[in-house]
Amino acid sequence: MNITLKYFSWIRVKLKKSHDLIEFNQTISFKELKNNLISKDAIYQEIFEDKSVKFFLNLKEIDDDNQTLNNGDILAFLPPVTGG
Amino acid sequence: MIKITNESFDLEAEFKYVSSDTNGAYSFFIGTVRSDLSSSNKKIKGIYLECYEELALTQLKKIRSKALSIWKLNECLIIHRIGKLDLGEKIVLVITASSHRANAIEACEFVIDSLKIDVAFWKFHLLDNDEKETVLQKNLDNEKMLKWKDIIN
Repeated sequence: MNITLKYFSWIRVKLKKSHDLIEFNQTISFKELKNNLISKDAIYQEIFEDKSVKFFLNLKEIDDDNQTLNNGDILAFLPPVTGG
Repeated sequence: MIKITNESFDLEAEFKYVSSDTNGAYSFFIGTVRSDLSSSNKKIKGIYLECYEELALTQLKKIRSKALSIWKLNECLIIHRIGKLDLGEKIVLVITASSHRANAIEACEFVIDSLKIDVAFWKFHLLDNDEKETVLQKNLDNEKMLKWKDIIN
């Protein structure tokens, strides 16, 4: 299954990319995805430890690490907003 | 009406859009790019606005809907620009229209306060040598939102 990751603001700058398409053999939880990303790149550790960063799955904020991710899902990484 | 755009907007044209003889009052908020210093004390030459458009539209619709129902507005228009903006350029426009001024003024303030902490836009300061600096959220903006807590819940 495929999951699209979208990065914004300082996270996009730090990772030097605006998105990723990642593939898994089976359904995973948000927590498992976090561990998977941290094992690939230490930058993700900093991102996931930053309590001000919010994560939106298909435009809805994730409030449970055990939430399941499905094929075609879009997960966005959002630092505190600064519009207006 | 909600719009996220790369283009500037014309105040008179937008006023005509919300204008109606059922309204007795309009309140406007216009945010512009001000001359400022970066966190490293460099003069900024403009800003760059990034947006997660699908999410921002959903969030703006929620804010607009709350404003319309709580303050019984006849119309609420929100336009937010994205991309590169020079000093002095318009960033955001909020127009609220109602029968009486108190509702229009209060709702306009609520919309811009909410937008500043709840909608997926991010600013960068543009510096010399095409350098970009992330703008951080201000605590003051979060504190301002506390004012609306009892009204919107």
